Amino acid sequence: MTTRFRARQAWTIATLEMRRAFFSKRAFWVYLLAFFPAFIFIGHGVSLQWQIKRFNARGKVAPAIIDSFKPGMTEREIIALAGNPQSDHEYTRRQREDDDEDESTGKRVIVEKTLHIRFLEYWDGNRRSYLRFENGVLKSARTRNPFDFQEDRSVYAGVFQLFYLRLAIFFGCLGIFMNLFRGEMLDKTLHFWFLAPARREVLLVGKYLAGLTASSVIFTSGALLSFFAVLWPHSGMEVQAFWQGPGVEHMLRYALAAALGCVGYGSVFLAAGLLLRNPIIPAAVLLVWEGINGFLPDILQKLSVLYYLQSLCPVPAPLESDTPALLKLILAPAAPASPWLAVPGLLVVTVLVLWAAAQAVKRLEINYSTE
Amino acid sequence: MAVYKRGYQRYQGPVTGHYTRLMAMPRYAWERLFQQRLMIVLTAVSCLWPLLCAVFIYISNHSELWAGLGGGLKKMLAIDAAFFLVYMNVQSAFCILLAALAGPGLIAPDLSNNALPLYFSRPLSRLDYVAARMMTLIGMLSLVTWLPGLILFGMQIGMANSGWFAAHWHYGAGLIAGFFIWILIVSMVALASSAYVKWRLIAGALILGFFFVLAGAARMINGIFRVEWGSVINPAMAAYTVWCALLGKEIPEGMDISTSLLCLGGLIAALGLILERKLRPVEVIS
Repeated sequence: MTTRFRARQAWTIATLEMRRAFFSKRAFWVYLLAFFPAFIFIGHGVSLQWQIKRFNARGKVAPAIIDSFKPGMTEREIIALAGNPQSDHEYTRRQREDDDEDESTGKRVIVEKTLHIRFLEYWDGNRRSYLRFENGVLKSARTRNPFDFQEDRSVYAGVFQLFYLRLAIFFGCLGIFMNLFRGEMLDKTLHFWFLAPARREVLLVGKYLAGLTASSVIFTSGALLSFFAVLWPHSGMEVQAFWQGPGVEHMLRYALAAALGCVGYGSVFLAAGLLLRNPIIPAAVLLVWEGINGFLPDILQKLSVLYYLQSLCPVPAPLESDTPALLKLILAPAAPASPWLAVPGLLVVTVLVLWAAAQAVKRLEINYSTE
Repeated sequence: MAVYKRGYQRYQGPVTGHYTRLMAMPRYAWERLFQQRLMIVLTAVSCLWPLLCAVFIYISNHSELWAGLGGGLKKMLAIDAAFFLVYMNVQSAFCILLAALAGPGLIAPDLSNNALPLYFSRPLSRLDYVAARMMTLIGMLSLVTWLPGLILFGMQIGMANSGWFAAHWHYGAGLIAGFFIWILIVSMVALASSAYVKWRLIAGALILGFFFVLAGAARMINGIFRVEWGSVINPAMAAYTVWCALLGKEIPEGMDISTSLLCLGGLIAALGLILERKLRPVEVIS
């Protein structure tokens, strides 16, 4: 038996399994996870186009007027200066001040004030200005270009690293790779594979290849579709400059990170499905571990799949604005690994995990009654 | 299929009370669950945070321990709504993990082994069955949520000055009501997942994924559209808003209390519908 023969056996098993991984009824939610961000980005593009049409139809103000909005101005002053706004919303709410305690009686003293809040929106053809008034006085003026390319790329980086890598690929691989062995045990069909004249390690490699091909194709396509959906609403000049600059490299890096995510998480979940009867526990532990990754010391951060995947991403994920100050303080992301270290590092870990899984599958005895 | 031989006669003798019948299932389920070492370990780990909170309350009420450490510390060590909110947030995460471990085994095996007719041939309605299964989860999740929370609240009442309870009784009430809402949601998600996928393994992943992926998707929508309404698909955020209202803390931007309650109500109704569709004593095979 040559290595080439075993490789052919593994590929035969992979092609048989691949159909199940791609087209089974259970795979539909994997597609949902993979393509949901693309769907949202496309929706955002469509809504932007529609909004701009609507704004242009309702009239513009001069850019200088938008620049002149300053906190402290009154509603009347703004309307006199800029005319009728694009949109106008108002409501009244009660705001509670910090509770205080009466020292002598120990009773709680609550101070409440009524706030009349009004939002006005103006458009100068390029920028939207969103004004927030409290009791008739301008509290904040937020001006932004809805077609800010840099901001959209930063949002994509956040979505890719915080949703796609941490959740979509994680849960997608959990479903695909655990199904390969544990699913067959639950279906009581694994013994058919074990009766085939192929070594169990070959079976493991074949099944892993099938899962890897399916997950990589699905998630890499999802990531790329989202990437193109981000670029789509922007003007030709900006996009052209991006493609002539770092565009292709960024696209390839995101695709590589998605594929390597499938490689890393896939091996872990395949091994978990073989080594443990309830792989949900390691999945939950891994989810928590990857979630708190940024708060761990440098050395521990390097013991996660996410660290190597994030090292490959070209744009760092933006920190969310509502992150509590204390968390911001203790958040200390380790310096990203070089791609020349991240890729082989992840591959070496995968080979080790698959080796452990191969040892487990060699010893595996089927007892369906305990499943 | 025609039935020719009618040897079966319905039992006509006395039956136990409704409550006793209802509690039979949770009783056995609890016994079975706590035979699992993993469940005991996770329950024990879930009680670590309440223990730390108890230490915090002790330190907070013994000002002599930190008297020389500056005035800002008093505000930081205050036992207020923010303290109970942090406690609730941490314990709610453990709630999900426990439900992901215990929930799938409640309905999925009955469905995959066609055991439902055995239950429903007894004086037990579908609602009773769901209530009994839910009682199992409620009992188990209570151990790590409102029960230790109430102990903490009691500890604070005992250590603080005499007027504290009169001024802050709503923290205790909010804690119980808030956790009850959360336990109800987590239990419904666990039961619906268990009924929907039949496989314990996938059901566990679905419970985890439901909360984490929805929270991620909500943040993604908010980030891409630069809005706040994406949070309507995040049950954790909706529950947090309700907790804030119950504890008298300012409601975070994004969702108001009525929208949050509507989201949670809609979610519970949708999950109830799944249970209604999946839990049938008979199955018509076409």
